[in-house]
Amino acid sequence: MALSRRALIKDGMLVVSAGMVMPSVFSRALLSARAQAREGVRLAQAASERTLIVVQLAGGNDGLNTVIPYTDTHYYQMRPTLAIKEAQVLPLDQRLGLHPEMAGFKKLWDAGHLAVVEGVGYPNQSLSHFQAMDIWQTLDLSGNGREGWLGKLVAGLVDQEGHPFKALEIGSQTALALSSLTTQVPTLSSLNSYRLSVDPADHDGGASRLQALLKLYNSYPRTAPYAALLEATALDAQQSAQRLHQVANSYKPAVTYPQGPFAEGLKILAEVIVNDLGLRVGYITLGGFDTHANQEETHAQLVKTLADGLYAFYTDLALHGKADQVVVMTWSEFGRRVEENGGLGTDHGTAAPMFIIGSAVNRGIFGEPPSLTNLDDNGNLKYTVDFRSVYATVLERWMGASARDVLGGSFGTQNFLAAS
Amino acid sequence: MEEAASYEEPHWPPSAEQSEPQPTTSAANAAPASARLPRRRLLGLAGIGLGAAGLVVGGVTLEQFWQHSHSTGAQADQQLIGHLLRRAGFGAGPEELALYRNLGFSAAVDRLLNYQQVPDDEMEQRLAALKLNLDRPQDQQRWWLLRMAWTQRPLLEKMTLFWHGVLTSSFRKVGGPRFYRRMIIQNQFLREHAFDTFDSILLGITRDPAMLFYLDLTKSTRNIPNENYARELMELFTIGLGHYTQQDVTEGAAALSGWHVRGFSSYYNPATHSDRIKHFLGHSGNLDYRDVIRILANHPAAPWFLARKLFSFFVYENPSEEDLQPLVTAYQQSNHNIGAVMRALLLSPQFASAKAYRSRLKSPVEFAVGAYRALGLQDDGSLLPQFTTLMGQTLFDPPNVGGWPGDKVSAFWLNSGTWMTRLNYVDLLLRRGLGRGVVHPLNLQSLIEKNRIASPEAFVDYFAAFLLDGQLAGDRRDQLVSYLTMPATGRQESVTFANGKSYPLSRVRGALYLLLASPEYQLN
Repeated sequence: MALSRRALIKDGMLVVSAGMVMPSVFSRALLSARAQAREGVRLAQAASERTLIVVQLAGGNDGLNTVIPYTDTHYYQMRPTLAIKEAQVLPLDQRLGLHPEMAGFKKLWDAGHLAVVEGVGYPNQSLSHFQAMDIWQTLDLSGNGREGWLGKLVAGLVDQEGHPFKALEIGSQTALALSSLTTQVPTLSSLNSYRLSVDPADHDGGASRLQALLKLYNSYPRTAPYAALLEATALDAQQSAQRLHQVANSYKPAVTYPQGPFAEGLKILAEVIVNDLGLRVGYITLGGFDTHANQEETHAQLVKTLADGLYAFYTDLALHGKADQVVVMTWSEFGRRVEENGGLGTDHGTAAPMFIIGSAVNRGIFGEPPSLTNLDDNGNLKYTVDFRSVYATVLERWMGASARDVLGGSFGTQNFLAAS
Repeated sequence: MEEAASYEEPHWPPSAEQSEPQPTTSAANAAPASARLPRRRLLGLAGIGLGAAGLVVGGVTLEQFWQHSHSTGAQADQQLIGHLLRRAGFGAGPEELALYRNLGFSAAVDRLLNYQQVPDDEMEQRLAALKLNLDRPQDQQRWWLLRMAWTQRPLLEKMTLFWHGVLTSSFRKVGGPRFYRRMIIQNQFLREHAFDTFDSILLGITRDPAMLFYLDLTKSTRNIPNENYARELMELFTIGLGHYTQQDVTEGAAALSGWHVRGFSSYYNPATHSDRIKHFLGHSGNLDYRDVIRILANHPAAPWFLARKLFSFFVYENPSEEDLQPLVTAYQQSNHNIGAVMRALLLSPQFASAKAYRSRLKSPVEFAVGAYRALGLQDDGSLLPQFTTLMGQTLFDPPNVGGWPGDKVSAFWLNSGTWMTRLNYVDLLLRRGLGRGVVHPLNLQSLIEKNRIASPEAFVDYFAAFLLDGQLAGDRRDQLVSYLTMPATGRQESVTFANGKSYPLSRVRGALYLLLASPEYQLN
């Protein structure tokens, strides 16, 4: 029998056993790492087990009501009904403060674990959600990119063991940011549903049915439609579920997480980190930020969900001795218009703040809050920090990766993480 | 695409590297330039990335296979009708397939389009008997999913689903639980006007109660019009990014002002309409919502925009201009009639081409409803909503105003979590059905008797005929048969074929599970 491409690689050695279904995730992973090495891509392996958690705030978060320029009179003039009163703001410094529902972030700030990057954006915003989301995720300013920056990173981080939990997406769809030409990212919305059911009538615990199933995927012709995607998905699912459930019982949350899917998702990420499953990149989305009308209550609830959830997550990791290994970064496709609209809401805007959380971060405000008087033709903020410089910082200074290779250019760095 | 045909997959790993794996990122491992190219091409062609999805479609095997099967009349008919009913509907069981096959392709298309001539009372009666509470999102979802499963007008439901993904709203933002029913009102509107003119559909959705709330047009005032609806109407519903400016957004918003929602209906209030002169997409005057819709439906970009959405959803992704031209012509020549556009689409050579065949992944709704419908399940479908949600699609709750990304690029539907849910759905559907409480498994023994299925081979062929258009390669059919005939340990129920031989229930049921779990069945 000819040696097939579906060889199992274990401890760096090929293991081929006749009649056995061999998980090609391993060979594929190794293959892609080699291919990249050949092409001279230098996505360095970080020395330590560092993890990056990326939180997407979908819909366009109102940055001005999140990190509030509470001493700027223009803010109160432009937002007669929506402005947060100075007395309610949780101050960070003499100029800026947090939304009153973000007590969790204030505690992280006081403990020295929160950085804010102000005025983040990019040139020629079209004010389209979808183009903006594509640009933030693929870095293709035309909005036609198909490979995500984290996908490139994850593909480059594959090691000889091909750990399936290099990256994990919480949700029912893999974010464009994580999509790559070579690597599948496990995607799940709950731990319980992340396993294959077994027919109780099968007295072998489903082993032979699973074997037959994987064989169907293994032998699906390569030239048939979606062959690579289908096969990689099946094997990725099988491997990652197995690995996840081996350890599922050894984690106990050290804090009580808030209710709701966002905190539930963070808990899954904490479990994977605490159990040392080799997670390097985690991704989770909180949606609903497109507040064109009746913004006050909706936005307050959202930033509370964000801050309470991440505070619980950080505390949980700290109590498990893992806080040093994790950095969290938030992003949103755009901020919102400076002037409020007639429906007690705000329309699509441009620049907005990003948050970076972790024991390793330098507390502080980085970048420069955009002027509220020197606006663009649409009444929007002029960005002061290129979003790619924030990405470059976490890539270079946290993940130990080459920002130039992942981002395809040099965009500078910010000092919320120390240069190593 | 042509490259795929000539590309030969190398054996991996190359023999030289079998015994001593190299450090994966070592520069010393760099291969000479000549060895680099094929690997890159492999990654590009067989890449699992979304952008590459189109490249692996219509590979040489499929093309030859299609041509081969097209030369053998009956089998080609079966394949084409199966394709039609999956794309223009949700698949079909053996009886329904036979009915359409007897009509022939073009009469089958007529029957799908002229749905008014097909009675659907039985479906309505069955739905009514369930006494669903249409103020509850779960029941709303069940109501629609079961319509899709039981209807005799499959294209009407499919078209409504298409519109729901384009002119979309979510129950999460229609005014709170008291007004969840606004989603059903919107759904009924989309169904009633699914094949109407684009102008009528746009006018209706503009003043639809759910949409007025979802995209905030109801909040628009004379002096400060809300931009939300105006922007998405242009970007996502009619002409697309690049055909308008921010000024068109604000001017369009002013022109659209005046509509408001009250309870379950909407009304126009001239006092809240901005009656100044507006400059919108090159037109000036005291424009109102009717002008905006007229200008957009007649905009040169509109038929292309709409044709691209329809073609990607019903035929294949990344269509060429040439692919879209007949749809655009039909739009222009029919006064923007969607029925005429759909007729052009379904009768186009592209729709019946090898390139279209199995060129999209089934959406969660197509997958869940498809299996339920084809296998003729009779239970109350209580578990359908939660399964489609776990698969990544909650009806009446799209991820955002852009609808489901999978509608445009179907590879977005598939990842490890949604794949496992698909398989678990199949497992449950076969073992206990999807009804509440009662275990109501598919009765394989009576099915075998009723259809006089003689043997394991005949069993696989019987199901492959309507679930996979009979298109299951020989070696893969053998895999299912050999699973079915493999001995099982432990005592259990058995199933007896017409040839008198018995096999363990778990094996027989397992073979059907494998067929529905197969790569082939994930495709539409």
